Parts: sequence; structure tokens; C-alpha cells
Amino acid sequence: MAAPDELFCWEGDWGLPSVSTDCLVVLAYAQFAGAPLKLRKICNPWRSPSGSLPALKTNQKETLSRPADIIIHLRKQKFNADYDLSAKEGADSLAFISLMEEKLTPALIYTFWVEPKNYVDVTRRWYAEHMTFPLNFFLPGRMQSRQLEKLRLLRGDESLEAGEELEKELYCDAAECMNLLSQRLGSQKFFFGDSPSSLDAYVFGHLAPILKCKLPNGKLQQHLKSLDNLTNFCSDILLLYFPRDGRESSGPKAPPQPDGGDFDNVPNKRRKQLLSALVALGAMLSYALLTGMVSILHVQQGALEEPPDLEPIESHQHEEQGGS
Amino acid sequence: MSLAAEAFVSQLAAAEPWPENATLYQPLKEDQILLSDHASSLAVQAYLRMCGLPVQVLCRVNSEFMSPSGKIPFIHVGNQVVSELGPIVQFTKAKGHSLSDGLDDVQRAEMKAYMELVNNMLLTAELYIQWCDDATAAEISRPRYSSPYSWPLSKILAYQKQWEVRRKMNAIGWGGKTLQQVYEDVSQCCQALSQRLGMQPYFFNKQPTELDALVFGHLFTILTTRLTSSELAERVKSYSNLLSFCRRIEQTYFEDKSS
Repeated sequence: MAAPDELFCWEGDWGLPSVSTDCLVVLAYAQFAGAPLKLRKICNPWRSPSGSLPALKTNQKETLSRPADIIIHLRKQKFNADYDLSAKEGADSLAFISLMEEKLTPALIYTFWVEPKNYVDVTRRWYAEHMTFPLNFFLPGRMQSRQLEKLRLLRGDESLEAGEELEKELYCDAAECMNLLSQRLGSQKFFFGDSPSSLDAYVFGHLAPILKCKLPNGKLQQHLKSLDNLTNFCSDILLLYFPRDGRESSGPKAPPQPDGGDFDNVPNKRRKQLLSALVALGAMLSYALLTGMVSILHVQQGALEEPPDLEPIESHQHEEQGGS
Repeated sequence: MSLAAEAFVSQLAAAEPWPENATLYQPLKEDQILLSDHASSLAVQAYLRMCGLPVQVLCRVNSEFMSPSGKIPFIHVGNQVVSELGPIVQFTKAKGHSLSDGLDDVQRAEMKAYMELVNNMLLTAELYIQWCDDATAAEISRPRYSSPYSWPLSKILAYQKQWEVRRKMNAIGWGGKTLQQVYEDVSQCCQALSQRLGMQPYFFNKQPTELDALVFGHLFTILTTRLTSSELAERVKSYSNLLSFCRRIEQTYFEDKSS
């Protein structure tokens, strides 16, 4: 209990504390339970101890990466947001979390990673802009193929591709799931009365990205916005538990977003300049080595030791190299 | 095409009454069918019996490949083929047979949520035990799954199936779980179901719904199937109200025909 656990998360944007659903779930739960975590918001999954985000590094040097495992760990540390729930309410939580995993997660994967326009215009661009130099070229693509693979396995269809039919099916399931959640929430502030629980964290994590991210194909967002109580539920949690992230976006960040992108790059610019200089230097050196600069070095060394009558041969070599 | 086609299909479905010769297809009961498939098949049979719709069960070795979604079971009604419990419930609803009409909105939301709980935890746990536990896979799942086929094909198909399930487990984050953790998940799921059921005869009091059919299909199959270890059944047996729930449905809907 001495040092706080360290939580590694994706960075936030669009007025959210993090862009990933799983990270949002964990962050929201930690806020609800008041767990003191040392938060590390990063944009490089390779710097996380488990290689994926979110990841919780406990003070016993364990690493947990599934949201459910992290929540169980926090619960064991006496940070329990579900303390007041009755057994039946606990059962209901489990059921609704399953409902979201089965019905909402596939649609989320589809809308952020598979729908071509959304992926190219928003998701890939966001990750490419936020990752550091060499990673931004291949990691977004690799993340996408992993998500597509996951969707294929979830649906049990090996050759699944983006398409109208699939989109309609997935969005239909997701819309039904949102309706059910909305009916369950009713006019309450949180799912089980006045204080938030783990179910609220899961619902928030799944719905907030849909609500806040402006996607070219925004059918899910349209549907969510038609359910007033769920929309208010998400914005209330943002306002109450993540006031800083909420304000950042609503205030100055929204308008200067396009040219703000250039300013964001300034800290990386130095590194990029340095890197490109290094690459250029490396290329020049290797070219020099390949074309035989090494032999000159040898000869120069030799020139100091050898008697002067070898001089003409050496200069001949110089000429040859110059010519070739 | 799809919207119009769907509307057309549901109109057709509504127009035709339930025929006498409806059939349900599943793999061979004695030698081939696996725990998870048997559970899904039993859930559909229980649902149709609760609706009072007659169906004849046919066992075919290749039913997995006959099914439109590749999943078991599927029913053949008139000139239509529908697979899995969810779509079958919608299909019967279009024909005017429904068990969940009496529920209000919140209850319906809860019913759907609990059905997904069963699919998400019990069904996944069954698949995990069948294909990811090496002892069970080698002694039961692979030999049974490939029993109708001769040598090279049997090996190929069985390992292909196992490979597919293991990849799915990795994708949903179950790949790193141990068998003990999976049993814990099953207990957690049963605990939730048991809490929800309480002392009522069915999940939503007097009338059975599709949730009751689904829970019965899975729990009854777990209780009556012999695996390499009896741990799974033991976990379910510690919830007495779930046991009497299974017995009640068996007596009410299956006794007259199966005995």
C-alpha cells in the first residue's frame, strides 16, 4: 500500500479522458471508487508494461490488463464502488455488462476500425498524429487488422468485410442495446440510485466515445443522441468526475483544432530533425563504406608506415576510386 | 435489398401458421454432439415446447455445415431455415407466438441482459473447457467432433475447429485464463442467475420466457453430461434453486414425451 499503483492509459481527446473504451471503463471506476492511482497517459502501447493499454502496474510488480481484472484488483484494495449493491443488483450489473460486451462492442469495433471512412478520416489519423515517429507508420494499421480479426472471430465469419449488410446488423444490435440500457436507467441519476457503480463505469466507457467523437458515419451517435437520459448520463459523469478533460475540449480546443495540430508537433519536431539528420548521416557513411572508403583508411595508415616508393600505387588507387 | 426482403419474409412468416412437419437439426446425439452444442439445441427445444410448437428433432452428422450461420441448432419450418435461439425467437414472434409479451420495458431489458450473460459467460466457459483444456479436448471433444469422418479428414477438421476456438478465446481475452479461473466465472454466473431467480418458479414469476429456456438448456446439459472432471457440474450443483428450476422445467415440458 506504500506506493500507489500505476495506471497506463491512452491519451484523451474529444473532451474525453481517454479515447479507448477499456481505458475509460478503468478510469471511471477508479474515480468512482476514489482509488489513488498514478496516471500515465501515453500514446505508445510499447511503453506499457504489458504491451497493451490499459495496464495497471501494481506495487507488487504485477501487471494487469483486462478491465475486469483491474477492477477486481482495486476492489481487493478496498476501493469498492459496488459496496452498497445488493446481491441482486450485483447480478444485474454482471448481466448488463455481458449485454454490452455481446451487442455494443462489435458495433464499436466496426464504427471505429472497420467502417472505411471513419477509420481513414478519424481513427487512423488520430493515432498516427499522436504516436511517435517510426510507430505512426505501422502501428495504426496493425491495430486495425487486430480489431478486424477480433470482429471476425466474434461474428464467426472468416471473410467478413465492411459492408451495408453487416453495418445494418451490427448497428441494429447496438441500437437495441442502447434502448435497453436507456429503459433500465429510466429517470435515475445512475443505474443503482444515487452513487455510481462498476456498471456505470462500463456504460460510460462504451457510450462516451460514441457520443463525443465526430465520425463521418455517425449513425450510432444519432441514435444515442435520441436517448436523452443516456446522453445526460454520460455528460454528467464527464462533468462530475472528469471536469478538466471536459472543459479542455468545450473551451479553446474545439475551434483551433486544425492548425492546433501543427503546434502539437513542435515538441516532436526537434526529435524528428535529429532523427532525420542521423538517418542521413548513417546513409552517407554506409555509402562511403560500401564504395570503399574503408580501403582508403587502410592505405592512409599504411602510408605512414610504408616506405615512400609505394606512393604512386596509392595515388593510382585514389584515382580509380574517384572514377568508379 | 435486405430491408425489403426482411419485411417480406416476416410478412410471409406471419401469413403461414406453424406447420406440423417443422424439424430441428442437430449433430448425432450419442456419438458426436458436444456439450455447448447440446446446450444450445436443448435451449431451442425447450423454447419451442414452452410455446407449444411441435418440432421433430433430426440428427445429422453434417448439421453444422447445413446451418445458415454455421451454428447449431437450426430449424426448418415450411420453406424457411432459421438458426440459433435469438433469431428463432424473432421468427416465432412473427408467427404470433411469444413468451415475453407480458413483460414491461425494464423487465424485457433485464431478460435480454441475462440472456447475454448466459451466452457471454456460460457458453464461452463451455467452449473453453471443451477446446482449451487439453485433457478434455484430447479425450472427448476431438474424438467426438470428428467421429463421423475417416482418418486424415477427422484430424484436420478437429484441429481446425480447436484452432478456431482458441483464436476466439485469445481475441476476447480468455486466452490467458486458467481452468480454475474459468470455473470461478461459471460460479459467478450461476450466483447471478441464482440471485435473480430467488424463490420464484421462473425468472419472471409465473410464466416461462426465452430466458428460462436458455438457462435450462445450459444448466441441464452441464448437469447431465460426463466430462473428464465433474468440477463444472459441481459448481452448478451448489445452487439449490437452480437445480429445482431445472427439475421443474424438465417435469413440465419434457417428462411426457421423453419418458
